[in-house]
Amino acid sequence: MHKISANRKRLLTFILLGWALILIGDRIGELRQYQGAFVAMYALAIASIILLTGYSGQLSLGHSALMAVGAYAGALSINNLKLNPVIALIVAALVAGIFGLILGIAAARLSGPYLAGTTLALAISLPTIANQFTILGGEQGILFDIGAPPARFGEDFSQYKWFFWISSLAALIMIWMISNLMHSKFGRVFRALRDNQTAAQLSGINIGRQKAVAFGLSAGVAGLAGGLLVMLISGVSPSAFPLSLSFSLLTGAVVTGVYDLKGVMLGGLVLVAIPEIADSIGSRVGDSDGFTMALPGFLVSALLILAVLFLPNGPGKLLKKKM
Amino acid sequence: MKRISIVSAVAVAGAMVLSTLPAQAADPGVTSTEIKLGLSSPQTGTAALSYGKLPKAMKAYFDYINANGGVYGRKIKLIARDDKYLPTQAATQTTNLVLNDKVFALVGALGTATHTKAYAAAQLAKNNVPDLFVNTGFSGFDNKTKYPTTFLVLPSYAMEAKIIAKFIADTPTLKPQASFLIAQDDEFGIDGVNGFKLGGHTFTKAPTLYPQGGLSSALAEGALTALSAAPGKPVLVLMGTTDTTATLLKAAEKLSLTTKFNWIVGSVGGDANTLLALGVKSTTIDGVMAASFFPDAKDTSDEYVSQFMKINEKYNPGVSFDNVVLQAMNSAMLTVQALRAAGKNLTRAGLIKAIEDKGSTFASAGLAPLNYSTTSRVGYNGYWFGQLNAKGELLPYITGKRTLYTTDSTSTSAPVLSTYERKPIPKNGIPTN
Amino acid sequence: MLQFITAILTSLSAGAIYALMSTALVLVWRSTRVINFAQAGQAVLTTYIGYEVTVRTGSYWYGLIAAILSGALIGATIDRFFMRPIFKRIKSGPIVMIAPVVATLGLLGIIQAIIGFIWGLSYQTLAAPVSTDGYKISGTVIAFSPFNSMVLISVTITMVLLTILFQKTNIGLALRASAYSPEIAKLSGIKVDAVRTLGWAIAGAAGGLAGMLYIPNSYLYPNGMDVLLVFGFIAAVIGGLDSLFGAVAGAMILGFAINFVATYVSYKLVFPTAFVILILVLLVKPGGLFSSSKGRKD
Repeated sequence: MHKISANRKRLLTFILLGWALILIGDRIGELRQYQGAFVAMYALAIASIILLTGYSGQLSLGHSALMAVGAYAGALSINNLKLNPVIALIVAALVAGIFGLILGIAAARLSGPYLAGTTLALAISLPTIANQFTILGGEQGILFDIGAPPARFGEDFSQYKWFFWISSLAALIMIWMISNLMHSKFGRVFRALRDNQTAAQLSGINIGRQKAVAFGLSAGVAGLAGGLLVMLISGVSPSAFPLSLSFSLLTGAVVTGVYDLKGVMLGGLVLVAIPEIADSIGSRVGDSDGFTMALPGFLVSALLILAVLFLPNGPGKLLKKKM
Repeated sequence: MKRISIVSAVAVAGAMVLSTLPAQAADPGVTSTEIKLGLSSPQTGTAALSYGKLPKAMKAYFDYINANGGVYGRKIKLIARDDKYLPTQAATQTTNLVLNDKVFALVGALGTATHTKAYAAAQLAKNNVPDLFVNTGFSGFDNKTKYPTTFLVLPSYAMEAKIIAKFIADTPTLKPQASFLIAQDDEFGIDGVNGFKLGGHTFTKAPTLYPQGGLSSALAEGALTALSAAPGKPVLVLMGTTDTTATLLKAAEKLSLTTKFNWIVGSVGGDANTLLALGVKSTTIDGVMAASFFPDAKDTSDEYVSQFMKINEKYNPGVSFDNVVLQAMNSAMLTVQALRAAGKNLTRAGLIKAIEDKGSTFASAGLAPLNYSTTSRVGYNGYWFGQLNAKGELLPYITGKRTLYTTDSTSTSAPVLSTYERKPIPKNGIPTN
Repeated sequence: MLQFITAILTSLSAGAIYALMSTALVLVWRSTRVINFAQAGQAVLTTYIGYEVTVRTGSYWYGLIAAILSGALIGATIDRFFMRPIFKRIKSGPIVMIAPVVATLGLLGIIQAIIGFIWGLSYQTLAAPVSTDGYKISGTVIAFSPFNSMVLISVTITMVLLTILFQKTNIGLALRASAYSPEIAKLSGIKVDAVRTLGWAIAGAAGGLAGMLYIPNSYLYPNGMDVLLVFGFIAAVIGGLDSLFGAVAGAMILGFAINFVATYVSYKLVFPTAFVILILVLLVKPGGLFSSSKGRKD
């Protein structure tokens, strides 16, 4: 009985969150709607990292590549297979998930830094691979058009608001699903993998298989985030998924607290807000080129280090203490 | 009931007042004293090596105009944002420019992957935001349906390749030689590869493509060694960014292959100043061929170059004057002429129409004609062929005789010799059109 | 034939530089169980310092010494004042694995930003102290210059010195013991913290040397050694993160694979080749080729 009501509580929370987001979306201007859509997308991408690292203890430096796989799958299904854009997003998640599963199987025997190295190598190879096949559109890439908002929403319903709705709702639904998963038996298995592999093995868990499954799930989530990203920029290119994206996601995950899904929105907010803040500081202060251009990188890195030093377990615990 | 009728009366009155205000109140970024323009370009990264000087150079020219009365009394404010040559950044920065900074128009946007995304993301078509003089060689932007507000300025890489192909075919010392192409596997190289096909030129070996950021000196040496086996003095075309062009030239120095090849460098990676700054020897630069549509940035006898140099010294001190600065100031001058041509009643639609109608008559430093019309969004469409000397000056290949060819980006028809005469520079470089 | 010889020579040169980076990474890994992404930043920073000294004194050699010494100093400082507090705060949970890595990522960003603040973002060049023109052998110029010889010799000497240090000296024993089993080492009276800092210092010095040997063939800018970091890391993983010999072997394997595939197949495949080699090695031996401990789970 207790379990069921905890799940219901969670569902209720997410539904309320969804309502709140829709209400917020109505009140903020177009620019904030667009930025909000990015926040939701990054939050989802960070969630995929948390799923993999915080819950199953594997470190990936190549999630940008997984996002790209989903993105290309989504774009191709709209352009070549003429699928409905919403279906395309689902395809993005599925294809990336399957890819991740295969990768996870191959990488199951790899521990910590070896897995990190492999995913790093994948991330840097990606642009080249994308350029090899003409069907992927080369540098110009492929268009990803989610379409205009339905007519019934009226004239005032801007494209940005539509982006905001799709991005937030997709992220919300997916994170709710992950949350449920993590509170189930699955979640306990993953946590066992993370905390003590030997003990997990002794209790009969097939380590290799579970690690691969975790990788596949994480990749699927990342793939959906990738699909959302290219929706927001109206198309996919190899250069949209640089290695620095992987590092940014890791940053967001650490700042959020890598164990807990609760703070992902904060992480997404950080990734969107920091470059903005740095830009505005830079334009106010600097005439010196080196300073203004290096500032955003400096701020993000400084934030990361501060987060690691003072909040290694994420701000969640800190908030809890205060309350 | 009373309330409603009062409200409707106020509404009607308000509508009447609004309809009598000049139309420009509707377009953001324009006031009676200021015009805001936006630029999203790479200020960091390897693309910045080629284009980093763009924002400040444009701003320098605008500052000069502002100091001389502005455009009908309005001062131009340029807001430049760094997109790091990444599509996601370009999309968000351009959206910022439109929604946050509320610019009147965009100028000088850079990159194919970046700007195609930015155009859609910032809804430039829907908001009718003029997208002037984009700094990219992507011919796909010449498409009034897809990019209704965009105007190109640079010739495309395909045009450049076609004209280089013609040059090779027309030059007796080059035509019989073997020919090779080493190109960057991105927009700085691939369009060129296609252009050579359109120009009917087949290389002796399939082009060597390298990934951006992936051509180490070791690999460059290997690539050149492979080609050095060819007899005679093969033509070697390099189409990539400046750092990789420099890497290849320095590898040639190491292998004593500098005189083995007839070098031709693409416009993006061929800025002599930058190559010398990156460590290429002047003896290596001497004799390298390149195509250009501008006068050489060191040619002080050219009236546009000398005027822009003066402006650069005063308003952009500390920055050396090179081809990018020349290009940037030229675009800025075109922008000012476009704003003037749109009239005192400045609207976005008016600006676009002004360029369509009058753009081809604007004065500019370019030696090729500008091709703006109601059906064409193409800027310059031609190149002349030159050879660098040890000082890094690009001089016409045939001494004293600068021959310019014009062509298009998509057909196989041969480039045509142009008789275009450039308009003289307006007095002091201040347009009065 | 010339093609083949060139491929071998360029592979050797590339592999030597990768070896220095992978060695630095392995040194830090062995002493701290951390992948130090800041390595690229440290190496570039020390190269800038070397560059400044070279420009002011007119001698590359002074610059080289400055780079190596400052590399050691910076490495030690980072461990003492940055990594140690992190380890103090993070004692348990999987965050132990991820936090230091992420911290070094942050450090990399900060170092690169600081370099940008001080020196700006434009590309600088550093001239080599000896000729970079290829040797001429029976009329043909080969892709190997006196500078390449210098690089190979320097790397070889460094590797020999490090091996002697680790295998034949007490300090080396202390370094190895502290990495393998800090508690036991402490019990035997080894000052584990100080020893670890020494490990970082040596790694930092190696990075400085790598930078001064690499940059004359490339360009000096804040992100100038990022690609080296990635290749160095992949090389270290291929060789097995526990083994110095593995670091060198992995670097050579990677260097040869990349250069040969580029020469004989396609230059486009530079990065995918690295990935494929890595996957192949790890499929066969998940701990890297020369990893000493088989079943260690991290």
